Amino acid sequence: MLDTMTSGKSWAEQVDQGDEGLPPPTEEFDEKRGIKTITEYRNEDGKVIKTIKTYKIETVKLSKSIAQRKMWKKYGAAANDPPGPNPSNTIMTEEVFMQFVQNKETPVPEEEDPLSKLTKQKIVQCRICKGDHWTTKCPYKDTLQPLQEKLEEGAKKPDIAPVSSSPAPNKPAGGKYIPPTLREGANKGRGETMSNQRKGDEAATIRVTNLSEDTRESDLQELFRPFGPISRIYLAKDKNTGQSKGFAFINFHRREDASRAIQGVSGFGYDHLILNVEWAKPSTQQ
Amino acid sequence: MKPIMLHGHERSITQIKYNREGDLIFSCAKDSQPNVWYSLNGERLGTFVGHNGAVWCIDCSWDTSKVLTGAADNFCKVWDCETGSQLHSIETRTAVRSNGFSYSGNLIMFTTDKTMGCNCEIHVYDLRDGDQLASNTPLLTIPIEGSKITSAIWGPYEESIVTGHENGEICIFDIKSGKTVQSCKDHTKQINDIQPYKDYTMFITASKDNTAKLFDMDTLELKKTYRTERPVNSAAISPLHEHVVLGGGQEAMQVTTTNTRVGKFDARFFHLVFEEEFGRVKGHFGPINSVAFHPDGKSYSSGGEDGYVRVHYFDANYLDINFDY
Repeated sequence: MLDTMTSGKSWAEQVDQGDEGLPPPTEEFDEKRGIKTITEYRNEDGKVIKTIKTYKIETVKLSKSIAQRKMWKKYGAAANDPPGPNPSNTIMTEEVFMQFVQNKETPVPEEEDPLSKLTKQKIVQCRICKGDHWTTKCPYKDTLQPLQEKLEEGAKKPDIAPVSSSPAPNKPAGGKYIPPTLREGANKGRGETMSNQRKGDEAATIRVTNLSEDTRESDLQELFRPFGPISRIYLAKDKNTGQSKGFAFINFHRREDASRAIQGVSGFGYDHLILNVEWAKPSTQQ
Repeated sequence: MKPIMLHGHERSITQIKYNREGDLIFSCAKDSQPNVWYSLNGERLGTFVGHNGAVWCIDCSWDTSKVLTGAADNFCKVWDCETGSQLHSIETRTAVRSNGFSYSGNLIMFTTDKTMGCNCEIHVYDLRDGDQLASNTPLLTIPIEGSKITSAIWGPYEESIVTGHENGEICIFDIKSGKTVQSCKDHTKQINDIQPYKDYTMFITASKDNTAKLFDMDTLELKKTYRTERPVNSAAISPLHEHVVLGGGQEAMQVTTTNTRVGKFDARFFHLVFEEEFGRVKGHFGPINSVAFHPDGKSYSSGGEDGYVRVHYFDANYLDINFDY
């Protein structure tokens, strides 16, 4: 207490005096690791700020001309810079890694093109696969059309039989209007239909196996859409790679559609593999 | 890898180049002060003060004694690399778009823009002849009638100049006669950059038509095409591996109007022979305007529209990369 009185300053003021009260800068050099540590102190708004700079000193053998250039004096805007990199011009950044890519070309995202959005809305509908393109341009023209015709023939035969007795008849794709009273299940009781619907949901599931790894849900959608409305598509995928595991389940709204799909697509060559389609085994009994 | 970011420019980088031994990096930007840096630690050696407009091009002589810059202030200047002082200043009628020292460092070449009613021209000066510089009478002037030159380099043996034009044309001019020896039009849009292979047997062009192409230096035969989905601003061939690096992105004026999808601005590495992309390096916040390989092939730099130069030293996983074939 006495000391501060004699000097006339509190210790805090002494620090404010500037460099006098600051410890001198120190420089340590660890020769083994080649690391130079410079510790500096400076005053800023009454606070002492300690700056520690760590440099890694490397000795590199260079050609004479490069070594000579290393000794050149700085000029221009850098004339007043101290030796070594100036932190305001040279910034060490975060680590970046080269991303190795496998695919040759990333496809251009479709969302960017407003026209492609339009094409998704059905302006035209293909008679073969119900796709949004002209029938003549259908990619399945050669594969699905004969198949479709075959199926339609098959579907017509039971049509001759009374409607009520057969569960199989079913309006051919893009066929005539059938009044609700004549539609399947119409002759049954109302409640029955409802419960049937439920059961049918469970039962109208098919299992597709031997799919190629590149298969996606949209491919399956395209492949099975011709057979009737689909309620759900489940494609088993690998958790890590996101690639298909080679099998999928497809739930149709109607069991008939499902059976037609089995008939139609089983043994169908798709993406260099022969597809195997069968009824899905009922899910685990509860 | 841990890139060193060089922040010496206030505006977008227009060109970067290493000197022959790779210890210095020269960068120029749309501000008026070209910079020179030590490539090893990113320390700035200095800036060249004297231009009064965007600097479009920079080159360095083989012995790193002189530096050549060309700018939009209608001047092409020669600097002393050691002191940063200006040695010569050549006034032109329009902006200087591209330039280069010949292999010996005795001849300089630069091309001027086609603006203000002046045609695009190639000028060649001999630095040994003081009269040429004093009286501003070049050794050779080649007027270009058609599409203007957007990029140009010296051919081998100081005998020719390879030029890339705004319409995608590539020409070789003989500097003895000043006539076009060869030309081809494999690109459909502007050539942004031409860079030679280390032995000058081939060169790579970067074009606005989303491709970079590899040409034979003698015959102008199209050897390879590297396709991307955006304009390529710059391309360089690795002196060490059979790799090329492409820098690009959508044009600066379109950046704000297209959706910002990350990964548009990365440097892309292609195999020289298989034309197959195998790697990408992210980092810039805008299109890359210029890329350059270190002469030893173990590091590369890129300069971007964001005004930064990034110096990358490759990791072992890149240097050890092998292609199965």
